[in-house]
Amino acid sequence: MKISKEQVVTIILSTLNDLIDTLPNDQRFKPEVTTKLFGEGSPIDSLTLVSFIVELEAVFSTELDTEIVLTDDRAMTREKSPFESADELANYIIEITE
Amino acid sequence: MTQNYLNKIVLITGTSRGVGLLIASHFLENGAFVIGVSRSEATIAQKNYTHFSIDIGSPEEVIKMFRSIMKTFKKIDIVINNAAVLTSQYSMILAIKNVTEMVNVNLLGTFFISREAAKLMRKNSYGRIINIGSMAASLEPIGDSIYAACKAAINTMANVMAKELSGLKITCNTLGITAIETGMLKQLPKQKVDEIIKKLPVPRYASANDIFNVIDFFASEQSSYITAQVIYLGGVN
Repeated sequence: MKISKEQVVTIILSTLNDLIDTLPNDQRFKPEVTTKLFGEGSPIDSLTLVSFIVELEAVFSTELDTEIVLTDDRAMTREKSPFESADELANYIIEITE
Repeated sequence: MTQNYLNKIVLITGTSRGVGLLIASHFLENGAFVIGVSRSEATIAQKNYTHFSIDIGSPEEVIKMFRSIMKTFKKIDIVINNAAVLTSQYSMILAIKNVTEMVNVNLLGTFFISREAAKLMRKNSYGRIINIGSMAASLEPIGDSIYAACKAAINTMANVMAKELSGLKITCNTLGITAIETGMLKQLPKQKVDEIIKKLPVPRYASANDIFNVIDFFASEQSSYITAQVIYLGGVN
């Protein structure tokens, strides 16, 4: 199944939004395509990131019937991390699902 | 009959016989809906019981099963990682096939089930993962090099997962059981087991109620502050 980048970005931001809604008020933020998902300067803590990855993989599997793995060697050894931003993650997902 | 587990969905591995069958019956008698898992066919026929015949050492089969559970049940409250295989033999003559099988089922299978269950439990911010460990992890009996190592490994694995999952309100604990009269025990020379039992602080075989008592404690909603613990029966430590 061919998925557009716009679709992927929408799924990423919607998944992120759902998770943010479960956070305490003082940890909530509005996710953008430029939001850093990992590392210094990211508003997301490690457990939320893990939950986000698990949820995103599940959404692709159940709703799009597409299996993606976001934490394998391919993702982790890239010069530019897929978790640099929501936009970068969308690029990576497009790449691995093509 | 009490209804302590009414509306709880409980997944138990190794339910076709032995300790797993006893534990499944205990949860069913107390009102739970039980999802049983074993390589063989179901040996329980009850309306509140459903069965998956899979190899838990296969990550693909485990993931497929959890997808099906997700669609049908939407949640899991309690997981009992009970499935285990045992071949007791001197290391130098322990067949590689048996080594691989023990690692795949006893260790990797426990990990695969715990991992996928945690993903489901995450959604409800609630879960109890209980591993059935063994006195072998502590007593290190001759012949049990791989079995005891796997059981020691799941103690450690549960303790690490307890840290990772505490923010999701999922607890991970291990019950180290002693010998109980089951099919698995019959694979060992009775004299060898009797010798081990004789040296325990409480020198007798375990009963089913000894096991249920600790499982009920770990599984209780009130045990939210009990995690990363290993409780051995019979005074083993």
